[in-house]
Amino acid sequence: MTKTVVDVHHLEKTYGKAGERPYTALKGLNFSVAEGEFVGIMGASGSGKTTLLNMLSTLDTPTKGDVIVNGHDVTKMRGNQLSDFRAQEVGFIFQDFNLLESLTAEENIGLPLALQGTPSKVMDQAIQAVAATLSITDLLKKYPAQLSGGQKQRVAAARAIVHQPSILMGDEPTGALDSTSARELLDLLTTINRDQHMSVLLVTHDPFSASFCQRILFIKDGQIGSELKRGELDRKDFYQQVLTELGTFSE
Amino acid sequence: MLTKLALAGVKNRRRDYLVLLAGLTMSAAIFYMFANLATNQAFIKANAVVKSASVVFGFGAVLLALITIVYIMYANSFLLSMRQHDYGLFMMLGAKRRRVGQLVFLETLILGTIATAIGIVLGIVVSKLLVGFLLDQLGLHLAHLTSFYLPAVLFTAVLYIGLFILASLFNLTRLMRTTVQQLLHADQQANQPKSRPFRQFILGLIGIGLLAVGYWALAAIEQLQMTAIPLALVTITLGTYLLFHAAVLAVIRGLRRTTWAKKRLNGFLLGQLNFRVHDYTRMLTIVSLLFAMALGAITVGSGYHRQMPMTADSLGAYTVAVHDANAHQKRLIKQLHVAHQATYTQKVQGKTTYYNAAELKAQPFQLIKSMQSSANGRPHFYTEPLAKFKTSGATQLDFIMLNPNKLGDFAAPKIVSATAFKQLKGATYRVTTVRVKHMADDLTVLKQLDHSEQRRFPQTASQLTIGTYQSFEMMNGIFGGLEFIGYFLGIAFLAMLASCLMFKILSGAPGDLRRYAMLNKVGVRRGLMRGSLAKEIGILFAIPGIMGVIDVLFGLQMFKPLMGKPMSPYLGIGTTFAIFIGLYVIYYVITLGLYLNLVMPRDVARD
Ligand SMILES: Nc1ncnc2c1ncn2[C@@H]1O[C@H](COP(=O)(O)OP(=O)(O)OP(=O)(O)O)[C@@H](O)[C@H]1O
Ligand SMILES: [Mg+2]
Repeated sequence: MTKTVVDVHHLEKTYGKAGERPYTALKGLNFSVAEGEFVGIMGASGSGKTTLLNMLSTLDTPTKGDVIVNGHDVTKMRGNQLSDFRAQEVGFIFQDFNLLESLTAEENIGLPLALQGTPSKVMDQAIQAVAATLSITDLLKKYPAQLSGGQKQRVAAARAIVHQPSILMGDEPTGALDSTSARELLDLLTTINRDQHMSVLLVTHDPFSASFCQRILFIKDGQIGSELKRGELDRKDFYQQVLTELGTFSE
Repeated sequence: MLTKLALAGVKNRRRDYLVLLAGLTMSAAIFYMFANLATNQAFIKANAVVKSASVVFGFGAVLLALITIVYIMYANSFLLSMRQHDYGLFMMLGAKRRRVGQLVFLETLILGTIATAIGIVLGIVVSKLLVGFLLDQLGLHLAHLTSFYLPAVLFTAVLYIGLFILASLFNLTRLMRTTVQQLLHADQQANQPKSRPFRQFILGLIGIGLLAVGYWALAAIEQLQMTAIPLALVTITLGTYLLFHAAVLAVIRGLRRTTWAKKRLNGFLLGQLNFRVHDYTRMLTIVSLLFAMALGAITVGSGYHRQMPMTADSLGAYTVAVHDANAHQKRLIKQLHVAHQATYTQKVQGKTTYYNAAELKAQPFQLIKSMQSSANGRPHFYTEPLAKFKTSGATQLDFIMLNPNKLGDFAAPKIVSATAFKQLKGATYRVTTVRVKHMADDLTVLKQLDHSEQRRFPQTASQLTIGTYQSFEMMNGIFGGLEFIGYFLGIAFLAMLASCLMFKILSGAPGDLRRYAMLNKVGVRRGLMRGSLAKEIGILFAIPGIMGVIDVLFGLQMFKPLMGKPMSPYLGIGTTFAIFIGLYVIYYVITLGLYLNLVMPRDVARD
């Protein structure tokens, strides 16, 4: 029996302050992610993918329902617990990289460890290790402004996993990358997922990116509309299957 | 259509515009107040003593104008930093460059005009309050000091509107020359300063050398005369700039390599400072000079205020002399902190005042040693045997002035034996001389006492003073103007410098907004972010503050010739410094508050 890393029950999110017309983006969502799984989330624009990730990563609060990440009930957390949870349990890769341009790549990667008060020796080792995995050792002393988009995203990925979070989330991490860089990043994510047994939750609307996942959840009308499992298929065949599914899904 | 869009943009950033408008208004108000003092001919003419300080005023006006230019530059860059993203967007959407240019020009000019108008009105109102308050506090009387003076209004208006036209033109060319891409992503570009350690080391040394020359020039003001000030201004400015440039960056680089930098947000703090200080060096230099001038002006002003009574204390043997003290005067004398008191009987025949030798023997008249012969700077009092007194002490002004005619019509006083004195005809008076311990402690009572004495026994020779209290009043008339200018300039400079710093710091807010949003996503505690911000802004405030204090400590040398013994520009500066730094800290707290408000990510609502 494998452990569940993410468990979502009847998740609802309604936007709109008092006086505004409320808009319900998520309408009772249910799903879970097992430890070491690579799950994709797809859906049309505006279907609530970013909203869902924000709930999971505590950047925003659900209106109703439970979100349990690695045993922590996220909806019950307050103040510093929230930021500590983000700092320790979640690794996040953003579409726009989110690197601090006043810090070198090395300092950016080390940030999550620095926040936890890791001794600097341990920190250096961890940074070197993760840089080797993502082949960015040569880039460590550079500032983000001196890096290409693909390089920036690899640095961002390094920062997201350096502290061994229980889950790695990405919101369109390949969105700003060209196809070569995108493919490199996806290969890296696959490697990390396989070798380090880290769960990955990838939001994308690009079928190619989605085909790297083991399982894909399709969101429609604020709920999980359908689900696709890769099983023993190889990536190319799975890609075809995703395309077909998207075809029927959007009907 | 575009105008509408621009207006909407302004509306969305109401708060930022208010900050900007408030700052500009304040600057215009201060400038008006100063221009009012400096250009008001009636005021300068009526206060001949102040006129001797018109050099100081002229110098102050030039400085203030320069500072204003710098100030508007920073305010303008704050405005531009707020707006460039919007402008870039308009252009990307196809608005013509020329059209956007017009908008920029108009926006800057309108904002400037409004600020100038409100500022002048505010300046008139505050002039009334502040001048009244300062004069009241200092116990000065300056004639013809009005709060509304048309030439000053015009002068302020012309200078400010002129500067805003320049600023608008600057914004226009800036906009015409930058690409849309740069406008849209201006916040995200962080140019990392290149490090050339050897060159910086040399420049740092040159900086220290220049500072030394500047400080020396201030100390040697007696030899260098008027060239000292410009020389010091140039060398200290350049020196400070070079030193900041080299030292601050070197320190940050050094710290970045330590393990301390790898703890929590320290690395982030250093990174922020690293690319900020570089672009702040020029401003920090100016602010440190402003800080020095403000603090220096207030220190000198309050130095005069505190030390004048002390100087007066050493000018004579008694503070006041009262003839035939009435009940009211006796009561007043009881309230004084008396160090020495004596009463003598006088008989006046024609022009001559007679004294009883027996009385003078029993209670010798005290004399003051000349300052040169007293070693520790404190006045020394002594008495002489009667025989010697007749030929020496009795001929000194202190004793002669005791005659009830107040020098109106007098011959040398005579001292006669007790029996001869008894037989003398003529009006009899009893004069009481009082010396207080520290004049500063008894000023109000002394004033009443002296005035009531003058009402009863009018003084004919008004250019001569009787008792050290009158000497004090005379000195107050001479140096009071300087003191007033000191306080006024100090307050004005402080307000300006702090706002300069505030704008410069606030103009970094749009970029920091993104950075702190990122930190929030990565899971940095809010307390930690707040702490980091407080430290960052605190350091930016502290650097010019420390440098300014050093400048003042050396700069006060300049006033040594003006504040002769027993005064000293360094006496009692602790309190002045403490109050000034207190005000500076208040500015820091306000800036930090505004900044936190602009930059901190909104908290997730949890109920
Ligand atoms: N802060 C908000 N206030 C109000 N409505 C919001 C807010 N954020 C998102 N929404 C609405 O919620 C819905 C879901 O938005 P969300 O950003 O999650 O979509 P998405 O699936 O990520 O889309 P995309 O693929 O375009 O990124 C949208 O209709 C959006 O308008
Ligand atoms: Mg989205």
